[in-house]
Amino acid sequence: MSPPRVTLAELTERHRGEIVGYLARMLGDRQEAEDACQDVFLRAHRAFARLGPEAKSRAWLYRIATNTGLNAARSRARRVARAIAVDPDALPADAGPSPERREELRAMKRAVEALPPRQRAALMLRQFQGLGYAEIAASLGGNEVAARANVYQALKKLRAALGEAR
Amino acid sequence: MTTYEDDLIALLLGDRRRSPALARWLGTLEGRRELRAYRRTLAALEQLYGDAGAAPRRTIYYCAIPTPIGRVFVAASEAGLVRISFRQSEASLVDELRQRLAADVVRSPARTADVVHQLRAYFAGERWRFDVRLDLRHITPFQRRVLMAAARVPAGKVVSYGEIARRIGQPHGSRAVGQALGHNPVPIVIPCHRVVAAGGRIGGYTGGLTIKRKLLRLEGAVAAAG
Repeated sequence: MSPPRVTLAELTERHRGEIVGYLARMLGDRQEAEDACQDVFLRAHRAFARLGPEAKSRAWLYRIATNTGLNAARSRARRVARAIAVDPDALPADAGPSPERREELRAMKRAVEALPPRQRAALMLRQFQGLGYAEIAASLGGNEVAARANVYQALKKLRAALGEAR
Repeated sequence: MTTYEDDLIALLLGDRRRSPALARWLGTLEGRRELRAYRRTLAALEQLYGDAGAAPRRTIYYCAIPTPIGRVFVAASEAGLVRISFRQSEASLVDELRQRLAADVVRSPARTADVVHQLRAYFAGERWRFDVRLDLRHITPFQRRVLMAAARVPAGKVVSYGEIARRIGQPHGSRAVGQALGHNPVPIVIPCHRVVAAGGRIGGYTGGLTIKRKLLRLEGAVAAAG
């Protein structure tokens, strides 16, 4: 009678990779992302029994992940900047980035790190996690218009970091 | 800076199509410059935070050893033991590690030597406890609790699924306990074979009941193994 139920183990197995990727993009630190991801599935586990099947979806997980990530970013803001996961100098060299290109990547990275956490979250959800604005709004709180505004604001700031490009 | 900035972003993100007004602006000096700048912004973002940037692959090392229960694979990352596997082909193990754990997989007896040494001693009846770090970051918190409870069952003893459920504070969870043990990524090292059904029946085992009985017999718990 009841619809087939997804177990938490299945949910974890299916989405762990993308959630940890999202948290890494949000936090810029792989280890921190791994820790936050543990937290996400712990919270999901606690909430799991209470909720109907419709809640146990990808968007629901993203909501938990976003809250967890924003909390982690907030508590980190009080600490000293940590080692970065994405070092432009350590990027694969096959494209042979010129010194200019390296400088550009460095500037871009600083700009991403200077974004307000909600804007950064919205941008990563849109660009890398494949979420639409309705789902971003559900993950972040607020409506679709605000979700889109967060993404656009973030991109404008990043573009400004390039300066008066050729 | 420009009234067309939003339209340009919408176009590049695929949110909206090119309006005639935007097309005209993109023909201007300013429009061309902004198009180039936004394209470079998105390309830089992709390079910094695309798949490679956000999720660097870890490396998992593995090797195979012959044992009384057949060929056993041992797989470990820098952080610790990831997988013990038997009754599985080498190709399927490598595929599983590569895909489910998003790892580069390398055969390396040197990197797995410590666990292999302990396993050999176990099968020789020389040791019943393992001293290894585990890298189980992909399991659920519930599964972790179940596995940790199973890890405390000493060799020569068996406990029931219901008893494990009670020990982790979920007295009605024996089915879930059974499932969690069925997905034990490191059997033998975490001795899920020491967990049996109520009333002395042997219960299930992902590796097959013959192997479960063999392990229990090796540990001297044969009477309970039924």
